[in-house]
Amino acid sequence: MNITASDVILLAHASCGVLGCVAATWVFVEVLNASPRNAARIRRAALFAALSMAAAWVLGGYWYVHYYSPEKAMILKGPWPFAHNLFMETKEHLFFATAILAFLLPIACREELYANAIARKLVLSVSAMVVITGLALEGAGAVIDHGVKVALLRGPGKGN
Amino acid sequence: MGFSLAAALTILLNTALAWAKDSYAPLNSFMKALTGHHWTTHGLVDLVVFFGLGLVFMKSPWIEKINPARVVPILIGSVVAASLGLGLWYVFF
Repeated sequence: MNITASDVILLAHASCGVLGCVAATWVFVEVLNASPRNAARIRRAALFAALSMAAAWVLGGYWYVHYYSPEKAMILKGPWPFAHNLFMETKEHLFFATAILAFLLPIACREELYANAIARKLVLSVSAMVVITGLALEGAGAVIDHGVKVALLRGPGKGN
Repeated sequence: MGFSLAAALTILLNTALAWAKDSYAPLNSFMKALTGHHWTTHGLVDLVVFFGLGLVFMKSPWIEKINPARVVPILIGSVVAASLGLGLWYVFF
């Protein structure tokens, strides 16, 4: 078994992103039933979503800056160059929008959501957008990963 | 509400900065020179703008004049526009 730091960081990045999406889903469901009883739980879940996305940012950023270059070169020489040109380029910038939304979540949850319909609508919208854009980023990550795989299996000199 | 508007503006700025970096190489080089990688600088700019604008908007009296019901459509619109703006840019760039 040969597990490198690059492998651990990349998988931890994706896992933190998923945890952020799960926590945002949790916030969404709790806010649908907002009451004084679950107000503290909503705030804790929102904070967890923000911290998970912050961790995904740090881990993904470190991996992207230090380890991505050889994979990028491989993708661009392979049969799926769009895995970088479209999916990675979009992912690396759209991620900032998801993270900003996740950071907004605990701030928006400071309101008394059970008594404020507009604040409730805001938190429902923000948490839904964290989940939708977060899952789109996870899907883009899978396409980028597959871009490397097809380059290794079917790239130049592989005879397929 | 201040931080929600700050988020909407930051998300739009994020897309505009991605376009600018790709269109104007000296900007990309400048951002790379600041932190060692253009993406790192881009993220830090977004964070500073979001928290900076959020704090400024929170203390601004004019923020109370904005109808709170408009904040959600503004934020959703900015996310949709910014996402489409990025996706289409990299399809055609």
